[in-house]
Amino acid sequence: VSSSRFDPLLALYSPRTPLPFPAAPCFNNLAEYESFQRGLRRPPGRRAAPARRGAAAGRASRRGPPAADPERIQRLRSLMVNAGPEQEGAEGGTARRRRRAPRNVLTRMPLHEGSPLGELHRCVRDGVRINVHIRTFKGLRGVCTGFLVAFDKFWNMALTDVDETYRKPVMGKAFYAEPQLSLTRLFDRLKLQESSGKKGADSKTVSEELALTNDSQTLSLRAGSGRGKAEEERERQKHWGRAGEKKTPGDRSEADVGSRTAHTKGASAGGARARSQSRRRRRPKVDYQQVFTRHINQIFIRGENVLLVHLAH
Amino acid sequence: MEVSHSVKERTIAENSLVILLQGLCGRVTTVELRDESAAAGRVTSVDAFMNVRLAEVTFTDRQGAVSHLDELFVTGRNIRYVHIPDEVDIQATIEEQLQAIHRVRYFGGRDKGRREFLHAKH
Repeated sequence: VSSSRFDPLLALYSPRTPLPFPAAPCFNNLAEYESFQRGLRRPPGRRAAPARRGAAAGRASRRGPPAADPERIQRLRSLMVNAGPEQEGAEGGTARRRRRAPRNVLTRMPLHEGSPLGELHRCVRDGVRINVHIRTFKGLRGVCTGFLVAFDKFWNMALTDVDETYRKPVMGKAFYAEPQLSLTRLFDRLKLQESSGKKGADSKTVSEELALTNDSQTLSLRAGSGRGKAEEERERQKHWGRAGEKKTPGDRSEADVGSRTAHTKGASAGGARARSQSRRRRRPKVDYQQVFTRHINQIFIRGENVLLVHLAH
Repeated sequence: MEVSHSVKERTIAENSLVILLQGLCGRVTTVELRDESAAAGRVTSVDAFMNVRLAEVTFTDRQGAVSHLDELFVTGRNIRYVHIPDEVDIQATIEEQLQAIHRVRYFGGRDKGRREFLHAKH
């Protein structure tokens, strides 16, 4: 290095540069170098042994961090250039191998034991089919059902063999003037009803819907003219009796969206079914509330859009 | 394998599923945005915040209007879905990307070069 023919550029870029001191410790900045020197200097002084290295000369002696134990001294000694070869054998190279276990997205997945994310990990391990509810800006967009391959703390998920059932969010005037319900007092319940209504739409068989054709047709016709809430309530009550026994086949575990009384469940099921009826009946006009389904083999979902995850048994 | 040059982005990517998306670089996929529009094209790059750059894109607006774009940049927050091509093995892709990060981090051997994580000397 000290020869006149030393070419620094070549030395930096060549893969086979012979280093004068191959075992020299590398530091990221001057502060590290200083603290390293400080650490090495203190133990010899404390033990009242003769100074080990002349390299420590010129260093201002300062108060360093306390507790220099022999083990640390041993470790530091192994880093020293002059005493290098003899000490390294004593230390054993294995003590300084990767002491940190690798922490990456795959190793973090089993770490969430005991928490909801731990449940998710169980689904990955056991291959449980998952229903992921996806949200739109306000409320439910749809459901993705599939097998979970990987997840992370943001609830980003990678799913396989996915069936998605969804509905485009309704915008503009229609947002306020939904056919069946339009008063603000029922808006919150509308959102809940929408979710079960959409579920009702795709879980019902065609025969069931045809059975309700007559009543829902009258309901939808009158709804189209924009009736008041009281009339709708009455209509719903009328259907409730009939819808009562029809409710149970259609009312899967999807009705667990919120804590609701049986009354509202019946009412919403009836109203929802009627709404899905009017959706189909309205096909001559533009159908905003059509429910779509599609199958995707592998999909990645950003966790921000996940409403809830429901395990299918 | 283009691993990010930033330590911060590398660690964010390493500990989240964004790394799976980074493994999709160079593949043709569809990205569905949270406003119901969709972009189908070749993934150029994905960063740790899930910002995605696509090339040769067929962009379908939320109204349904289709347009062709040479390049498209999507902010990570606006993404809802990313379709993963059928031929991609999710587990293998994640592991390959993790290895790429590992190689970059420990470049130059154990005792040589600048170290990303300070060796605990206490």
